[in-house]
Amino acid sequence: MANKFKVYLWLMLCLPLYITAQEKFTLSGKITDQRSNETLIGVNIIFPELQTGTITNEYGFYSITLTKGTYNFQISYLGFNSISETITLDENKALNFKLTESTESLDEIVITENVEKLNIRKPQMSVNSLSINTIKQMPVVLGEVDVIKSITLLPGVSNAGEGSSGFNVRGGAVDQNLILLDEATIFNSSHLFGLFSVFNPDAIKDLKLYKGGIPAKYGGRVSSVLDIYQKEGNSNQFQMNGGIGIVSSRLLAEGPIIKEKGSFLLGGRSSYAHLFFPLFDLDSKAYFYDLNTKISLNINRNNNIYLSGYFGRDVFQISDSFDNSYGNTVLNFRWNHLYSDKLFSNLSLIYSDYYYGLALKFVEFDWISGIKNFNLKYDLKHYISTNFKLEYGLNSLYLTFNPGEINPTTETSGINPYNLIKKYAFENAVYIDAEHQINSKFALSYGLRLNSFQRLGQSELNIYENDQPVSFNEELQIYEKAKAIGVDTYDRSDVIESFMNLEPRLALAYQLNDNSSVKASYNRMSQYLHLLSNTSSPTPLDVWAPSGKYIKPQLLDQVAVGYFKTFKDNKYALEIETFYKDIKNRIDYIDGANLIANDAIEQVILNGKARAYGLEVLFRKNEGKLTGWIAYTLSKSEQQTPGRTAFETGINDGKWYNTPYDKTHDISITSSYELSQKWSFSSNFIFQTGQPTTFPNGQYEYNGIKIPNYEARNSSRLSNYHRLDLSANYNPNPDSTKRWKGEWVFGIYNVYGRKNAASIAFKENRDTGVNEASRLALFGMIPSISYNFKF
Amino acid sequence: MRTYIFILSVLLLQTSCEDIIVVDLHTAEPKLVIEASINWIKGTSGKNQFVKLSLTAPYFDSIIPPANGATVIIKDQKNRVYNFIEDGMSGIYKNTRFTPIINHTYSLEITYNDEVYSATETLKSVVPIDYIGQTLTGGFSGEDTELKAYYTDPADETNFYFFEFISDIPAIPSLSVYEDRYNNGNQIFGFYSEEDLEVGDRVTIRNHGISERFYNYMFILLQQNSNAGGGPFETHPTIVKGNCVNQTNPENFPLGYFRLSEVAELIYTVQ
Repeated sequence: MANKFKVYLWLMLCLPLYITAQEKFTLSGKITDQRSNETLIGVNIIFPELQTGTITNEYGFYSITLTKGTYNFQISYLGFNSISETITLDENKALNFKLTESTESLDEIVITENVEKLNIRKPQMSVNSLSINTIKQMPVVLGEVDVIKSITLLPGVSNAGEGSSGFNVRGGAVDQNLILLDEATIFNSSHLFGLFSVFNPDAIKDLKLYKGGIPAKYGGRVSSVLDIYQKEGNSNQFQMNGGIGIVSSRLLAEGPIIKEKGSFLLGGRSSYAHLFFPLFDLDSKAYFYDLNTKISLNINRNNNIYLSGYFGRDVFQISDSFDNSYGNTVLNFRWNHLYSDKLFSNLSLIYSDYYYGLALKFVEFDWISGIKNFNLKYDLKHYISTNFKLEYGLNSLYLTFNPGEINPTTETSGINPYNLIKKYAFENAVYIDAEHQINSKFALSYGLRLNSFQRLGQSELNIYENDQPVSFNEELQIYEKAKAIGVDTYDRSDVIESFMNLEPRLALAYQLNDNSSVKASYNRMSQYLHLLSNTSSPTPLDVWAPSGKYIKPQLLDQVAVGYFKTFKDNKYALEIETFYKDIKNRIDYIDGANLIANDAIEQVILNGKARAYGLEVLFRKNEGKLTGWIAYTLSKSEQQTPGRTAFETGINDGKWYNTPYDKTHDISITSSYELSQKWSFSSNFIFQTGQPTTFPNGQYEYNGIKIPNYEARNSSRLSNYHRLDLSANYNPNPDSTKRWKGEWVFGIYNVYGRKNAASIAFKENRDTGVNEASRLALFGMIPSISYNFKF
Repeated sequence: MRTYIFILSVLLLQTSCEDIIVVDLHTAEPKLVIEASINWIKGTSGKNQFVKLSLTAPYFDSIIPPANGATVIIKDQKNRVYNFIEDGMSGIYKNTRFTPIINHTYSLEITYNDEVYSATETLKSVVPIDYIGQTLTGGFSGEDTELKAYYTDPADETNFYFFEFISDIPAIPSLSVYEDRYNNGNQIFGFYSEEDLEVGDRVTIRNHGISERFYNYMFILLQQNSNAGGGPFETHPTIVKGNCVNQTNPENFPLGYFRLSEVAELIYTVQ
């Protein structure tokens, strides 16, 4: 490892020296939307004569350093009119540009597909960007625009099925995704058990999903990074927009605090289907709401500050007996500072938490659990030359885990108050990442992230014989909890266990010709947090557990290779990638492990591994009246937990078994067609191999009830999943000059009403006592209508 | 959890549907199922006991075949031997002279098809049922009949309980297991909820004293019965191994359990 490190260090230090000492000047600035003054992410600034260029970063900033001279350059961004200009660069220049939208109609209508244009030159691969315009265009269940559902239409991304939380990337688990909203970690991305995601589409500007070749800037999760940026708010004029749908409505206000200098954004969303429950004589509630806020202030050219917040809750009440609420809270302060026109920095101070509360009146107790995190991030981007850029920074996280508190809710309750032992951890990382254009054909990016994780002292920690919290009963051939032989006590300042990992990241691109390239990448990542869940997909009740004495951090190695080609002047793009990943220390659970309110989770966990490999193809049409993409993924995702000794069976007899999110074939076809200024149409078609599941291979009777006896884990599959969705957007007055602009969205989800099984339950019929297989299909054909407006 | 999300989607949209489908299943070789449950109901002699032996069957079969022609013996810790004799071809093996003693360890030995199966377990005591609490407006619908069978957990020991609620209307018996981790030493209850239960219906309530191993066994077994089939919230279903071992051919392990319990029984009429 030390040797590897030296090589990297050498590369870092020496490569910049190739840059010759001609007279050079820097052009830098911000690019914003003319109408709202909102910064734009990923705008291309291209110098055709030099065959070079740059793009704006997450804060709309660009910087490029060129030899003295006069150049033509173009600024282009999909959905916006391009700017072509000439500049004489004889001193460092700071220039801001404003782009105008290429259509003045509502956001929902875009004539070009706003998936980021394929950049065949850059070494970054395995990344997908979606602008909120593209997301809003897709047909969705119940007319609810949904960020997470949209990304599952991309190759390599799926989820465990309808009504399941989160998403799976390249055969990884849901808890292996790092989800960032304005740089803050979101611990649970779903409302209503995954029916909707927590992101209000009106408040979001841009998202990027990294599936592989993940830059050193990111760490802490092994599967993917979903980086979401909220809008800053319109600093030119006050405006409101919103939508009324059949499940939820939303309203967002934004406007200047100081014209062109400061803005605010305040958005809210709430579901209200429960208001109709009394019509069905139901004494229950099920709803969610969320609030997004942001204040942005441009202090001067070199300093910007942002304060943003998110608060969301799901609430369930079932008659008087059951009361449940959960959700995320995020508070976030950021300061952008330009040290020079070549050195951009961002400091983030973040608080985020996840809360889960449940009151069960019929058994007379309540339950609270959650996770809190304080996060300091300092990221710098150094635009050293056109051919060499450095990103470096640090990240420091303090985490507290509350695995659960139980309290009686009545005087007469037979439940004793009980607090599970709280856990604490400190995670730190430093990183450096270089993007290096070696010559006109060959580009390289390489980086290193060094992280450490300290599990801090907790009040009590069990000690086990031979440090083995799970014992194997050889006679009965089952795993059992080992008895603790003692208890260690600690102070909060003690370090119980610490880990350190060095994560190399490497990506390269070789340009074959003007419109095609090959890319390859390798990344190693570590993950210290584990979401305890022994179901197919996480539930809101699941708690996070830190690595420590008995749980090791997950370690991932991923390689990916790809071929990229654009046709007809970027009108079409083709991306083919293949990947292989290997994860060590993926935890698995012994049979019957009870994870809820378990104070010694180590007693039900075994250490396993996981692997996934696959091929992804994405073909896109970016321009014209008809736009869209076809995504196909062929993949395999498995895990294995062998016995620790030759005498043990392991889980599933130590054999590899399919993860619940192993989908052999996954096809998505997404398209939209703009018929006229008034009408546009969209469709999705999805086909997925049925989800792995476990079926009974026999039955028996015990104590008067029938028990199914099961085959090996996940060795059968639900039937194939497929459906077609359609939607139509109608803009009654596209040419209206009135301030109020409205638009109707009509949709049909699952047009041909396929009964896709969310699950198949094997059970005894209550009345006849006969065994039967009962299929649960969540969504039949669902028509929807919603109205969106802005003024 | 499955019920939870089903109710949720029904509440939201009335769009989800549950239907019975035909699924092609594999069928494994038959295995011996041992239901050796010695129940000593408080206030009785406990002399009459039986052991039930059966075989696993294809999942959709309506008949569970009995295991006939076995020899079944239980020995107590003083080496007294109780022979259990099959009643016809029923797979039910009976003994009428059994002597139950609290905290005594017993061993079971079964010979079936030339293979020897064995298990050992301790007879666990139980506290009486104090009283029954009743409400007719329980459950998600607010129309279920709920019964709470209160008992007082002894504070100075770790206890495990196995509850049966068997109503005289045609309904699947409700089984549940409890531990005393969160209510040690308190008066607490076994819980039963049944939508079809009416005033005047009778429910047999039994609370069994059980070992920790049986608690774990039954906890997993009940998960197999109620939740299954790969939905988003289901735990991985599995083969549930009890405390019986095949001494002759360990690979061909039996299912079921050898349990000995003192039982508090009460027959309750819904009011």
